[in-house]
Amino acid sequence: MNIRLITSFGFSVLRLSTPLIFAALSAAVCQKAGLFNMAAESMMLWGALIGVIVSGATHSALIGFLAAVLAGAVTGVLIWVATVKGKADLMLAQIAINLASSGGTIFLLFALTGEKSNSAVAIKSLALPKIAIPGLKSVPVIGPILSGHNILTYGAIVAAILLSIFIRRTKTGLHIRAVGENPHAAESVGISVPRIYLLAWTLSGILGGIGGAFMSMGYLTSFTKDMVAGRGYIGLSASSMVGGSPIGAMFCALIFGVADAVSNQLQLTNAPADLVLMLPYIVTIVVLVVISVINYNRANRKAKA
Amino acid sequence: MEALKMENITKIYPNGFVANKGITFSVQQGEIHALVGENGAGKTTLMKVLFGMEQPQEGAIYVNEKKVKISSPLEAIELGVGMVHQHFMLLPSMTVAQNVTLGMEPRKNGLVDTQKAVQITQEMSDKYRFGLDATARVGDLSVGLMQKVEILKALIRGAKVLILDEPTAVLTPQETRELFEQLKLLRTEGHSVIFISHKLEEVMELCDNVTVLRHGYCNGTHPISELDAAGISRLMVGRDVVLKIEKEDPKPGKPILEVRNLTRTNAEGKKTLNDVSFTIHEGEVLGIAGVEGNGQSDLSDSISGMVSYDSGTVKLNGKDLKGMKIVDIRSAGMSVIPEDRMTVGCVNDLSVQDNAIADRFDKKENMNGIFLDKKKAKSITDALIKEFEISCDSQDEAIRFLSGGNIQKVVVAREFTSGANFVVANQPTRGVDVGTAEMIRKYLVRQTREKGIGSLLISADLNEILEVSDRLLVMRQGRIVAAFPKANVVDVDELGEYMLGIRTMTAQEMEGVL
Amino acid sequence: MNNAKKIETWFDLVRILVAVLVAYAIALVILALISDDPLYVIQQFIVGPFSSFRRFGNILSTMIPIIFTGICMCFVYAINKFNLVGEGAVNLGGCLSACVAIALSNKVPAWLLLIIVLVVGCLAGMAASLIPALADQIFHADVCVVSLMMNYILLYLTNYILKYRIKDPGSSITASYKWAPALKFRNIIPKTSVHAGLIVALICVVLAAVLFYKMSFGFKMRIVGLNPVFAKYIGIPVVSTIILAQVIGGAFAGLGGTVQVLGMFSSYQWTALTGYGFDGLMIAVLARKNPALVPLSAFLIAYIRTGADIVSRTTDIPPEFVSIIQGIIIVLVAAEMFLSGFKRRLIFNSAKKALAEKEGKA
Repeated sequence: MNIRLITSFGFSVLRLSTPLIFAALSAAVCQKAGLFNMAAESMMLWGALIGVIVSGATHSALIGFLAAVLAGAVTGVLIWVATVKGKADLMLAQIAINLASSGGTIFLLFALTGEKSNSAVAIKSLALPKIAIPGLKSVPVIGPILSGHNILTYGAIVAAILLSIFIRRTKTGLHIRAVGENPHAAESVGISVPRIYLLAWTLSGILGGIGGAFMSMGYLTSFTKDMVAGRGYIGLSASSMVGGSPIGAMFCALIFGVADAVSNQLQLTNAPADLVLMLPYIVTIVVLVVISVINYNRANRKAKA
Repeated sequence: MEALKMENITKIYPNGFVANKGITFSVQQGEIHALVGENGAGKTTLMKVLFGMEQPQEGAIYVNEKKVKISSPLEAIELGVGMVHQHFMLLPSMTVAQNVTLGMEPRKNGLVDTQKAVQITQEMSDKYRFGLDATARVGDLSVGLMQKVEILKALIRGAKVLILDEPTAVLTPQETRELFEQLKLLRTEGHSVIFISHKLEEVMELCDNVTVLRHGYCNGTHPISELDAAGISRLMVGRDVVLKIEKEDPKPGKPILEVRNLTRTNAEGKKTLNDVSFTIHEGEVLGIAGVEGNGQSDLSDSISGMVSYDSGTVKLNGKDLKGMKIVDIRSAGMSVIPEDRMTVGCVNDLSVQDNAIADRFDKKENMNGIFLDKKKAKSITDALIKEFEISCDSQDEAIRFLSGGNIQKVVVAREFTSGANFVVANQPTRGVDVGTAEMIRKYLVRQTREKGIGSLLISADLNEILEVSDRLLVMRQGRIVAAFPKANVVDVDELGEYMLGIRTMTAQEMEGVL
Repeated sequence: MNNAKKIETWFDLVRILVAVLVAYAIALVILALISDDPLYVIQQFIVGPFSSFRRFGNILSTMIPIIFTGICMCFVYAINKFNLVGEGAVNLGGCLSACVAIALSNKVPAWLLLIIVLVVGCLAGMAASLIPALADQIFHADVCVVSLMMNYILLYLTNYILKYRIKDPGSSITASYKWAPALKFRNIIPKTSVHAGLIVALICVVLAAVLFYKMSFGFKMRIVGLNPVFAKYIGIPVVSTIILAQVIGGAFAGLGGTVQVLGMFSSYQWTALTGYGFDGLMIAVLARKNPALVPLSAFLIAYIRTGADIVSRTTDIPPEFVSIIQGIIIVLVAAEMFLSGFKRRLIFNSAKKALAEKEGKA
């Protein structure tokens, strides 16, 4: 009984962390390029909606997934257009995109289906497959925790690793970091800063789109309005705590996933659900403040030394 | 062979400032060529033109005796011209090898071939005896080593002509010696180096030829062997037009500002103020001369409370200013004309009126109970506009629409009428037109004489500093290195020698003047 | 030169108007595309809000809460901090006011209770806003992220209070106990939903505008926002000004929550974020951070909102499509490059003309 509780808790941590990991990676790419990504929220929202719609229309989860990725990427590119081409303030532009996306997704859902808050009835959308890992499955405790997840849960971990390699080992990845650290230095050796920004936003959008696809094609199997519910912002916090390191961001996202799972678990008990729901957000603020203080002191000490 | 030639370069900035006028100079292959001149003489602009960062109105550039057009730094690099900027273009979180090979990374299987990058970087560093570890993180390196990384960056891109913009400004004496050895090695390898510096002993030691710029003109190229430091100094520092300001001798009253043993270490860990002491009395202007970047800005900021300092005291009208809020320092009698009027001295988007009264709008007499007194603000501003001949369409227009000179007049007007009895004027006439500059100088003298205020004038303009100041101090590397009781009889050549570090006064010589 | 100045000033206004028109045009196209009867829908959207007295009243009552959050964001935006806690502050203000109103109903005189309740709303908003402000200024954590997290925390906190502390078990919906009817804001325009909160809102506009432009704090705040280095140099306490501005802004948002709750309901019923906070940001952007212009831009937003509501009621199209319009307007107004070519041409042409005139005279 106890073991089952532990395994189901462990399982739900991974499940709940998946969208947070994608959001964190989405923010991490941007952070490495020196950009502040508040719009993972929008990327995920569009990914979630478009994934449902396209998979419903094509009866193919794969095509739905790809469409979700594209939707996220387009959102990212839109931010690039507004801020680099249009020279809009980055914060304002992202707040605007978030606002427009929150209403825009509902509106598109309605325009296509006549539904206003949930796609479940109107669209027979497909879910992405779950994967049982053959050998692992039968290992006690670990097996039930790690096996049988949605493909994107494993995808999140793979994405973090790939992104980490991309950022550290590829030419383009190094250029992204170079632009993020010192755009003038990057420019002085012929790296085009706007192009790197475009790349970062696109990549960030793709990751956000995948996170969104997981929300509506894995976590749930339908789109509900505002279903992302601040996960994009939590991802942003996760990434900013570790300076945009993909692997670090993944682990931070896992911490929030634990907070999420605890709050889910507590909701089953008598604890007031609403207070428990505050938990992940409180954890985010506390951790963010602690890390910010540490980073600030470190920067100060370095200047003094 | 001539590695490089710049011919008849003229560069005029959009605001009409003539930075370079018909400058011609050339660099031979395998020589270290010094480019010297005061601040604002046009060295930086000339090098920006060479490096493709600025386009000249007239003139031509030849590389290896072939006429070229350089419209961007990338093209300059292609042509074998490399530049080490004063502010490094480095990525602290990355390794030396990553920095050096950035933009031209070797690759293997789609990934960056880190080993190869390290290998070529290490080879290059060893070849020129730079002593760098290619795998070290740049952020962990000393400033001297960072500079090596910059040089390596240029060399690995095939630079034949290397521009070094005041490379020793950030180095310790040991590091400087090392750098010189390496530059000499580069010279024997057939590279050419353009060495920009204020430090004449270094120029004498290292360079083969020297080109002197003054006020945008070229004052000739000379073999080092034909000149001594004093000779270069005379070519660099000079007064084209001698400015005269009528003023009576000062009658210094009681001390207003007392600075004792002021020492400050900046964020980069460099000692920018080193045991600075002096006193300013009622009714006198104390001038501080010096090549820019020798601690003058930190002196002004420390006195005015903008930055903190390690030790020492600053007393204004008998009050120790340490730890005081700026608002209290101001009410203790401080006013400041800051060096950078656009980012420190005013708020671009606010009106002339708002800028003019920004320090006094909440004084009791300027408030209408708990409300701002618009009428009072208007009458104060009107008076200032009239007295300082500020030309603006209306006092309600945003100050950014005014000319530089008029903006400075607003700043000066505010600071001189704040009721303070002490003013720090840091480069008060930089970049303003001749008429305004003269007016500001005269006003500074008049206020000091008539109202008995004390003034600290920091300026890189020798004309100004010699004519306006009563007593004159010279700052170099954060120290006071010379003190003259009467500024207007100081010999310019002598002053130049103190500024450039050829001579230093002993404590005994300065006694009684500080 | 003088002409260039004039063009710049006018241009700001023109840009906002064009941005609104562009956004509107896009919305109309979308409406036309998805509707069976596009002409009717568009007519409802544009003319609908003015088609009856009651509907016009709806514009006014829609304005009320967003005037408060608009003022809030003017303060926040003036010091250049993206503290978006206005959203949560509305809920907290409304909820805590409701608690006090319920607890003290019929125990203290209505007029006194009203004052207490309004003060509670202000305090709640101040507290909500203070946390991100401190996190930013003292701990150097990003104010925007912290404030967004705060919004969720405040939402769940108020939900908890509603469901576990003040819920009326007798009510068929999730709602609190009712407070004394005397507390409810009176209707000020008969046959509409316009309540006395509008007067409170307009008083707040005046207060905020006075604070902004007639009092020393407002002046200090604007200086800090425009150039913090100058502010330090001239002797203004930068950190405390930044914190205080956010706290004052929060007070207005919290008060907005209180006013909305007392004006529209007789018990507390919010279980979701209202969106008023984000509307506030948009209003502040449109009003160019000037509280005096907040009613004007609030009217514009309220008009769009009301049109959307009418469309939604008559045709079933969800009102959320206005958030698309809002997003487009913000982006266009924020984008420096939007119409900048046009501006350059204008300035260039006028300079050329001036030159030609000068030469003609000479």
